[in-house]
Amino acid sequence: MSKLKKAKGIEELKSRYGLMFILPWIIGLIIFFFIPIIQSIYYSFCQVVVTSDGVKTTWVGLDNYNEILNVDPNYEKWLEESILSFAYSLPIILVLSLILAMMLNQKFRGRIFFRALYFLPVIIATGKVMSYIFTTTDEDLASMGVSGGMAAGMISVEDLTSALNMGPEIAEFVSQAINNIFNLIWSCGIQIVLFLAGLQSIPASLYEASKVEGATKWEEFWFITFPMLSRITLLVGIFTMVELFVNERAPLVEQVYGKMRGGQYDISSAMIWFYFLIACVIMGIAIFFFTKFVMKRYEA
Amino acid sequence: MKNPFKNVSEADRLRALRYAKVGTSLVYSLFRYALLISIGFIIIYPLLYMIITSVMAPEAFNNSTRVWIPTNFNIKDNYEKTLEALDYGAGLFNTFKLEVVSALLEVAVCAIIGYGFARFNFKGKKIFTGILFLTILVPDMMVLIPRMVNYSNIDFLFIGRGIEAAVHGLGKLFGADWSAFDMTPNIVNTGWTLWLPSLLGVGLRSGVLIYIYIQFFSGLPRELEEAAWVDGAGPFKTFIRIAVPSSSVVFITVLVFSLIWHWNDSLLSGMYLTSDLPLASALSGIESYMVQKWGIYLRAGTPQGASILMAACILFITPMLIFYMFIQRGFIESIDRVGITG
Repeated sequence: MSKLKKAKGIEELKSRYGLMFILPWIIGLIIFFFIPIIQSIYYSFCQVVVTSDGVKTTWVGLDNYNEILNVDPNYEKWLEESILSFAYSLPIILVLSLILAMMLNQKFRGRIFFRALYFLPVIIATGKVMSYIFTTTDEDLASMGVSGGMAAGMISVEDLTSALNMGPEIAEFVSQAINNIFNLIWSCGIQIVLFLAGLQSIPASLYEASKVEGATKWEEFWFITFPMLSRITLLVGIFTMVELFVNERAPLVEQVYGKMRGGQYDISSAMIWFYFLIACVIMGIAIFFFTKFVMKRYEA
Repeated sequence: MKNPFKNVSEADRLRALRYAKVGTSLVYSLFRYALLISIGFIIIYPLLYMIITSVMAPEAFNNSTRVWIPTNFNIKDNYEKTLEALDYGAGLFNTFKLEVVSALLEVAVCAIIGYGFARFNFKGKKIFTGILFLTILVPDMMVLIPRMVNYSNIDFLFIGRGIEAAVHGLGKLFGADWSAFDMTPNIVNTGWTLWLPSLLGVGLRSGVLIYIYIQFFSGLPRELEEAAWVDGAGPFKTFIRIAVPSSSVVFITVLVFSLIWHWNDSLLSGMYLTSDLPLASALSGIESYMVQKWGIYLRAGTPQGASILMAACILFITPMLIFYMFIQRGFIESIDRVGITG
């Protein structure tokens, strides 16, 4: 009897300690997360004027959304571009980083060297540096008669077109594709690291057992590696989606950021919330299908 | 029909099989190296491009036959202009003061929060875990403006405002001038805009870091900590004396992530700060500086713009590259042992 009571006491104590540990985070959530989100949604329905003592808001209903969707001719174009690049980048990045992580996880000569090399994008890719490399290597410079351009440096696009008798549209497509390959591989850094960590945590005994049973490499991947990685895949997927969403090179994000700095809090809030809403629907569908059909199948 | 393999002995057949096996694995390993090297080239190429472009003289751009080794060098002038445009010394100092400090704070505070999640069962843990995922899902950009607005009168649930009003009222009652009393200070353009969220575990991508910590601490054996409990150590003492010393692996991983994200961030610092900018913000503003100071445009026939831009990128990433060189071994090993299972 007394033992039971004591156990309950410890449980309660532990519950209190747990809350103590996360208390700073709860305060932070209120000040820096929940209140700002509500404010930001509110701003998107208001006219916001910045004055010397804070901001003045006047409720205008859906005017801001009407402005961006019906009046501004560019918003929908930016939105479409951003969503499209979001939709095709995500699966490519996920598959590519999983393949690379699996290769780097094998034992071979020079593994340490390749790992150090492949983690470099983690250091450099997140930020302004990549977008500067892409601007300087852009066609603008190439058209100035300057040698450069990410694609032009590797293969001469003009030589390629004359050799294969292609039109300029195809040449442009090729150079675009090369730029995209750079872009995507450089976006894989953190994802490779997370997948590698996930691969390492799969117990080796599972692979040994499957070897005894005579499973092929292909079966090994689909019945051990993939299901064991399904939850980390979800995390990497969510992380990648958020990264792609705030990618500074996306035209929409650039515009929103410019307007934020210019003090147009109302329009920029409406722009970003509408974009986020659409991204959320896409993310929601992706997460739903992944958890429902991929994770459930293996967990059952 | 005659079987051509009829006379092949059993031993020969086995040998042939073995050769075939060695052959496929050889082909596979060649294929693996080919792929690893070609993608490695894609990773290294922009770095080489940056270095070469940064040392080129403007005339060298016109010689399109020499791609790798430029004909004319202009190292001194390019880098001197870059150092000036970035205000490199001051920028570096500000980056350490603002970004590196908030990264370190974030690493420490997220560890405490992650430990709380991993080790204790408390009321509403499921809900809080859900909220944690929500914070990962909602990018900082969504809350940038309200945070900016609130920073000019930092407050917590009107408590600061309430105390302020009460003191002002009391001052009026006693006929004294206490209107200077300020419980909701303006912290825009100070380091607190970056330090405060980090201190409360809601800094730059803190959600991801907390998640990594939870994964790691959940996998850590409980026995030692329980022994410390029995010996009468409190939870904080147990955490600092037992859990932290055996967690160097996760600290390295999280430190690298946090430091790099902070180093590269120009979005938050560009919004909250107007002077004493860190390097990342200076890098964002370098194009307009070049135009104003020397009339060098990136696009209108002045190739030096490209050189300066690339030199700026090199100067910007160099400290992180040095840091990576030192920590690289430990980081690569820590990835193998950090145990993120999802």
